[in-house]
Amino acid sequence: MRLIIQRLTKQRVNSLGIPLALLAGLLLTGCAGDKSILNPAGQAARDVVMIWWVMLGFGTVVLVLVTAFWLYTFKRKEVTRTPAEERKIARRWIIGGGIVLPVASITALLAFGVPTGQRLLPLPLGEPPEVIEVIGHQWWWEVRYPGAEGGEVVTSNQLIMPAGEPVDFHVTGADVIHAFWVPRLGGKIDMVPGRVNKIRLEADEPAVFGAQCAEFCGAQHAQMQLYVEAVERDEYDAWLAARQTEALSSLAANDQQHETAREAFMTHCASCHRVAGLSFGEEGPDLSDLGSRTSLGAGIMAMEEGAVTHWLKHHQRLKPGNKMPPHGDIETATLESLGAWLETLTP
Amino acid sequence: MTTINREATPEGDNIAGPDQLHSDLHEIWGNPRGLKAFTIVNHTTLGLRFMVTGMAFFLLGGLLAMLVRTQLALPDQDFMSPDIYNQVTTMHGTVMMFLFAIPMLEGLAIYMIPKMIGARDLVCPRLTSLGYWCYLFGGIILSFSLVLEMAPDSGWFMYTPLSSSEYSPGLGSDFWLLGITFVEISALSAGVELVVSILRTRTQGMALHKMPLFAWYILAMALMIVVGFPPLILGSILLELERAVGMPFFEVAGGGDPILWQHLFWLFGHPEVYIIFLPAAGIVSTLIPVFAGRPIVGYGWVVFAITVTGFISFGLWVHHMFTVGIPQLAQAFFSAASMLVAVPTAIQVFVWLATLWLGKPKMKLPMLWIMGFLIIFVCGGLTGVMLALVPFNWQVHDTHFVVAHMHYVLVGGMFFPLIAGLYYWLPLFSGRMPSETLGKWGFWLTFLGFNGTFLIMHWTGLLGMPRRVYSYETGMGWDIFNLLSSMSSFIMSAGIAMVLLDFALHFRFGKPAKHNPWNADTLEWANSMPPSAYNFVSLPKIETRHPLWDDPDLPRTMAEGQHSLAVATHGRREMWGTDPLTGKVREIIHLPGNSWWPLFAAMALAVVCLSLLTRLYPLAGIAVVVAGLFLLRWSWENGAHPKAAPDAEVAPGDPPLHSRTMDGPGLWAMSITLLANGSFFLSYLFGWFYLWTVSPEWRMPDTSPLSLVGLILAGVALTAGAGILEKLVRGLRQGKDEGLAIGMYCISALGFVQVAITLWVLLSADLAVTETSHDAIIMVGLAYSLLHGGLGAVLTLLQGLRVGYGFVGAHAPFEPAVVAQWWRYNLVTFWILVGALAVLPRVIGS
Amino acid sequence: MSMTMQRLHLTHPLHFVIGLTLWCIWFVAVYGGHAVACAVAPPAPEQGVFTLVNAMLLVVSIAAIALLAALTVGCCRMAKRHEGRLRFNATVSAGLYLFSTLGVVFAAMPIMGIPPCL
Repeated sequence: MRLIIQRLTKQRVNSLGIPLALLAGLLLTGCAGDKSILNPAGQAARDVVMIWWVMLGFGTVVLVLVTAFWLYTFKRKEVTRTPAEERKIARRWIIGGGIVLPVASITALLAFGVPTGQRLLPLPLGEPPEVIEVIGHQWWWEVRYPGAEGGEVVTSNQLIMPAGEPVDFHVTGADVIHAFWVPRLGGKIDMVPGRVNKIRLEADEPAVFGAQCAEFCGAQHAQMQLYVEAVERDEYDAWLAARQTEALSSLAANDQQHETAREAFMTHCASCHRVAGLSFGEEGPDLSDLGSRTSLGAGIMAMEEGAVTHWLKHHQRLKPGNKMPPHGDIETATLESLGAWLETLTP
Repeated sequence: MTTINREATPEGDNIAGPDQLHSDLHEIWGNPRGLKAFTIVNHTTLGLRFMVTGMAFFLLGGLLAMLVRTQLALPDQDFMSPDIYNQVTTMHGTVMMFLFAIPMLEGLAIYMIPKMIGARDLVCPRLTSLGYWCYLFGGIILSFSLVLEMAPDSGWFMYTPLSSSEYSPGLGSDFWLLGITFVEISALSAGVELVVSILRTRTQGMALHKMPLFAWYILAMALMIVVGFPPLILGSILLELERAVGMPFFEVAGGGDPILWQHLFWLFGHPEVYIIFLPAAGIVSTLIPVFAGRPIVGYGWVVFAITVTGFISFGLWVHHMFTVGIPQLAQAFFSAASMLVAVPTAIQVFVWLATLWLGKPKMKLPMLWIMGFLIIFVCGGLTGVMLALVPFNWQVHDTHFVVAHMHYVLVGGMFFPLIAGLYYWLPLFSGRMPSETLGKWGFWLTFLGFNGTFLIMHWTGLLGMPRRVYSYETGMGWDIFNLLSSMSSFIMSAGIAMVLLDFALHFRFGKPAKHNPWNADTLEWANSMPPSAYNFVSLPKIETRHPLWDDPDLPRTMAEGQHSLAVATHGRREMWGTDPLTGKVREIIHLPGNSWWPLFAAMALAVVCLSLLTRLYPLAGIAVVVAGLFLLRWSWENGAHPKAAPDAEVAPGDPPLHSRTMDGPGLWAMSITLLANGSFFLSYLFGWFYLWTVSPEWRMPDTSPLSLVGLILAGVALTAGAGILEKLVRGLRQGKDEGLAIGMYCISALGFVQVAITLWVLLSADLAVTETSHDAIIMVGLAYSLLHGGLGAVLTLLQGLRVGYGFVGAHAPFEPAVVAQWWRYNLVTFWILVGALAVLPRVIGS
Repeated sequence: MSMTMQRLHLTHPLHFVIGLTLWCIWFVAVYGGHAVACAVAPPAPEQGVFTLVNAMLLVVSIAAIALLAALTVGCCRMAKRHEGRLRFNATVSAGLYLFSTLGVVFAAMPIMGIPPCL
């Protein structure tokens, strides 16, 4: 899993890279991107793609015919007609093309569309679905699992969901309006401060999907990304269990090697960041299991050795305007030890 | 005063010869030069000014678009920082929508409408001038923010809380809110006067069903502006109050709701799209019959389609908000309504097709652009129907698919017809023909470049590329498409440059055009080319929809003064006031001449705007008063004032001057203004009830803070004043003006009493306006009422004075009827406010 | 009074806008009514479409349809009785009333298929 994400996030630009990427883009349209609507991985998204292809086909026919008729009028020979004939022809065009055509099209569309929309509704099910809460912040994601056995699990910038079953996402915004969107699973929904919106998504099989904030939310809207991992149910349960506060607390507390890093953390980071068992900051992302995550900075960098240190040193260059203050006043050695320690936070 | 027989005389035996008439009319209507050019109120000059200024802003908007495409040409570019990029995209949208599209089309309408309906000017010339200056100053202020690197950066839709003072602490949002509101004065004033001009100043015999279709389109556009802009003005005022003072209309913690902004914005924003599209479609409906050489097929169908579009477009706004979490049933209503709009659009497309089918179309340069319009617009319309489908919308909303759709509709639906229209009317503007070669190159480069840019962008969107991202990383499959889009966009700008070059060059090098070069049927081609300041020496009587096809000699006989109103010795700017339905002549409208007041008023308003921006509130207060004084001074020069029409003498057999009747165009202008005002008021009521029912943290006190007794007392004063005013107006209608001055003073006093009591109610309510949205919105409602009461009182006071001066009375009974409308409106809205703010909460409780 | 009567006559162009204004009022009524109903007494999702809310919205819609249909028929009759300008007005009004009627029918269809407040 991690490999895939690393491949996706790595910003490889070399002399061969650009032409190759361009070529790949041209050939693999709709298949290569992990955010492509045209490459659905869930029923809701699949329905939409189906509707899209039908609409595209129908629309193309209409466009070509109308254009062809228009162009034809410039070529055709003159015919003399009586006013009555003219009226008849005109009425045929206007009623046929202006009324029958659009009314038939939109009626068919509505008949198609309403059932598809129903599927995304959080209607009551026999067995209540898994609920995952996603909260948008400028410019990161807070993710909560209220239904976890043994108490709520909180994490950030990673979203693990069970595959093969419907999941209800309850979303809101902490500051401005964001939007939660996993293109391959289905439609988007806004994350509005003060209210909770719900959307039901389902992933067919275990896989990694790109997600993106879709509502313009300020300077770093572009780099508010997320990787959604759908995993088998038992893997999901195990993942949740490992992120219970007690389990994570022991992780941070029992670690004797990184005493200085922990002290630096308490001085510089703890007021904004939470690490289970150490701090309770809520301004920035939770870091309790940072080492186990696949990406950093809300989906903009792959997590690999030294990545956290690199981020801590250069985050304002990597993601200009993000809300973490620049770390120019902290010694490099401290940042490096912090980075090394945070990478060990793996349940 | 010489009297001249001004009846239409087929023999054309006027006392003054055509040349003499021309110079007499020029004496009255001609434009001054030098510094006095700032006083010009003539629609031809101002229409051109609007269009030239609009083009300048178009170049600015286009430049910003090129910056955006440069940034997105390759992945991971840092050509612009995210901060600058967001300013650039926000300003691109804002400039194109507010400073180019609307003013440009308004400019065209201002220029064209009087010429098409056989009038000599728009009916409120000074308002045209005020509108232009507000547009120019507002546009400059807004654009200047770019130079300061303080431009708005929350997107052209300014969604709050992103645009709030907490998340956009700079001046950017203030520039947007204040600048745009300032520019909207111009849109509204043009809207009002276009409606009244079309309804009341058509030439003799031009009944409603004989009006050129372009006038129908502009009538619909103007009415839509009048109804559609006020919600945004309200929203902007509320958001600016939140930013400046901290009144929490949109802030959840204070009991507000950010979604309210979206409703108000799109209540304006969706009709706006049709406000832009309708005049452009009007150009298409004007050009196609001319180039097909036959009348349009199904005139009635087109009127039907225009009306339907105008209304339905107000029922679509939520389709911009399908993802905000509105219940699905509510979304389905909007989805269905959005699809319904396909019907009138399809009707127009097929009316045009049938007209070509039954005619003998010629592919001249303007028709080439119409063809481009057709292909692009039909494509944009089809994706529009797709977007109306909720599940599909949930996927592609806020992606590049929508960017592509929107540009197909706006560029295809507005820019292409606009260029077609400009090419068509260029000979009228200048008397010269444009170059076919340059024009064709321009068209093909623009057309191919446009499709290269935006057709591909649909695909980029489907591959998941979101809107408004300043950069993207490689490996998503987006790179090649973005590169192609960017390259094509540069081809498109080369094409547009070529078109603009053609326009510019033709004024100097174009071949002189022959009269009516396209053999058109409408009256604007009866003007001289370029037109004179007064348009027509004499005003014709119209029998059919195609005056110039029926009588190709009409331009000559009009220029020779063989038709009506061919007289200038009275020194007034005159034209017909006709019945809105039948086109029968009712009165002679006399128009005001050039004036400094519009410029001064606009300058004072610019000071208001700037001082609000810089938070110099005392200065803003002073400037508001000064602007008000200028406007009142302007209104002083009306009716029987020496600068207007002190002597009411008309030729025997001619109808009276409008200021000597009870139903002049000013009355209509007031009605239309009050329609706009009513739309503002309804938006306010919507805001009040919306927050009350929907806002997540709404807090309503157990007892209303407003004194019901006080409000009822104020209402009684207001009702008494309005009642007396009605009685006085009834008297004037019967020719009686005893006690008019005293009556006016009494009414004014009652008005001030109402204001004083309402003010007391407001002050004694002890509202915590920065703490709860409930108190804040009550404050706004009462301030609205105070403003209206105050203005009503001042206006009646001035009427009293004017009676004293002899400007108003049984001989000139017009103005009290206009003021009475204001009072009636104030009366109705006041009682509604009392009911909504003070009574209903007591009845229902919190 | 006679002025008002003249305006109410079905050949007056005021009828161009009355039908669509009624459409708009109906639209605001169902949209607003639905929102208020959901704020005051949201029905249980298990009820599906068979709720009081849907029933009320349907009744309002049927009333609007009946009114608009009657006006359509009225204008059609009027159009046959006149010539020229008045016929043009009545015909266009009839078309606009018909569109408004069908517009209500079309936009009201979801009431029968979608549960409220979700």
